[in-house]
Amino acid sequence: MKTVKQAPISLPPKLSLLTRPRRILRTVLGGLTLITLYALLTLNTAGLKISSAMSSLGNNLNIMFLHPGVGQDTWSLLLRALVTSISLGLLTTILGALFAFFIAMGAARNLAPAWLANTIKAAMAFIRAIPTILWVLIYSVVMGLGASAAVVGLTFHSIAYLVKAYSESIEATPAETIEALKASGVRFWPIVFQAILPSIIPALLSWTFIRFEINFANAVAVGAAAGANDIGYYLFMASGFYFNFHEVGLIVYLLLAVAVVLEIISIQLRGHYLKQN
Amino acid sequence: MLKVIDLDKSYNRQKQSLKAVSFTAKPGEVTAIIGPSGAGKTTILRSVNQLIKDDAGQILLDDEDIRQANKSDLRRIRHHIGMIFQNYNLIGPLTALENVLHGRLGAKSTFAGMLGLYSATEKNEAAKLLQDVGLADFALQRCDQLSGGQQQRVGIARALMQHPKMILCDEPIASLDPKSTKLVMDILRELAQSKQLIILINLHQLDIAQTYADHIVGINQGTIVFEGPERALTPEKLQAIYRQPETKAVTADAN
Repeated sequence: MKTVKQAPISLPPKLSLLTRPRRILRTVLGGLTLITLYALLTLNTAGLKISSAMSSLGNNLNIMFLHPGVGQDTWSLLLRALVTSISLGLLTTILGALFAFFIAMGAARNLAPAWLANTIKAAMAFIRAIPTILWVLIYSVVMGLGASAAVVGLTFHSIAYLVKAYSESIEATPAETIEALKASGVRFWPIVFQAILPSIIPALLSWTFIRFEINFANAVAVGAAAGANDIGYYLFMASGFYFNFHEVGLIVYLLLAVAVVLEIISIQLRGHYLKQN
Repeated sequence: MLKVIDLDKSYNRQKQSLKAVSFTAKPGEVTAIIGPSGAGKTTILRSVNQLIKDDAGQILLDDEDIRQANKSDLRRIRHHIGMIFQNYNLIGPLTALENVLHGRLGAKSTFAGMLGLYSATEKNEAAKLLQDVGLADFALQRCDQLSGGQQQRVGIARALMQHPKMILCDEPIASLDPKSTKLVMDILRELAQSKQLIILINLHQLDIAQTYADHIVGINQGTIVFEGPERALTPEKLQAIYRQPETKAVTADAN
């Protein structure tokens, strides 16, 4: 065995742990602190007293979250509005999923010619780039403010979102399994429904459910903007018009409850399908 | 009877992968295509059911040229050609029975195929075929939970469900252990005799080919260098089949 003789490491006289990235980080943090201090000192509070404002904030939060109540609207009205929001989310997801499934066939590279797949993918990327709420407003110009503009706008964006998710799931099916059926003389649609669909159902289901959650959240936001008479509209009115924070708190709790229920369902669904997998 | 006559195929202009390939495969016999890697075994097999479009020649299955067939004729001919693969190519999340039933899809209308409407007779037949390949107890299990040998037997049952004249086997045992290999090859040989099927099989393993094949086609660099019964396969013939191309030999010496 040969032993390698090591030369003693010579340390520089003053060893600094302050490397270049750390120096930059400190400079940035220091700068931000200075800016914050400057902004706080020169803030035009216009008669606002921080101490009383803080206690009012605490008071408002207290009203909202510790004393929720129905305010001028009744329970039945709010619950019906909540159901409207859920239905809006559900309807637009189902419509979106239906259209998206067939469009996704054309967007999947292992089923459709490249030019078609690329064209559809580009178009869908364009639609997705514009937020849902803007599509609703664009459609409300055409159809007038209201529930129908909300439905069409939400569906439109859902389609674009789901086409991407679905087509990528379809592309994940191995080409050889498709080839095996093609080699036995099976037509296109039977292959899609008998071979591809069974392989990707868990993925489709989970994407669709995520979109349902998104659509529910969007429906609340869109309801306020498009006047679809759903829970979003009442939230908007209670907070911005009547300043009834009891009701704002109640609505927030209702939305939270729905979100929790959706999450539980989604976990159950995935669990069910993963067990089969 | 399968007759392949003067089949040519080139993937690019420089290199021709099949040069005037001709051979015959008879019903009731196992015909094995053997040769080194890249010789063109898979290309031949996939040309036979036109998964690969070749350039020129004739492929006659019972005197009907599959190369001349239009789209719907091609589907009909393909329906009578079963195929099994190295990686089985089953639909993993579906049960063995459902995968076997897929063998009937090619005979169905688009609508019935889409919905997967199978008659009671077909379901019974599928169950019977699974029993024949020794998988009666696994009929309702998901295919991706079966072992490789079991999946390959499901693949064979799926091919039989097509009521085939011929079964093409693309390296059917390359991923299997020796015990499963024997089981699968025994089934294939037995099928050739009992159902008078044409079994055309690509093989890497020479010993398996010599044990199971009645008729052997040897290919080297896209050219048929041997065709005949297994007993006619002399050491000289074998050397011709597995001869390495000149360029490779030079590199090997250099090393």
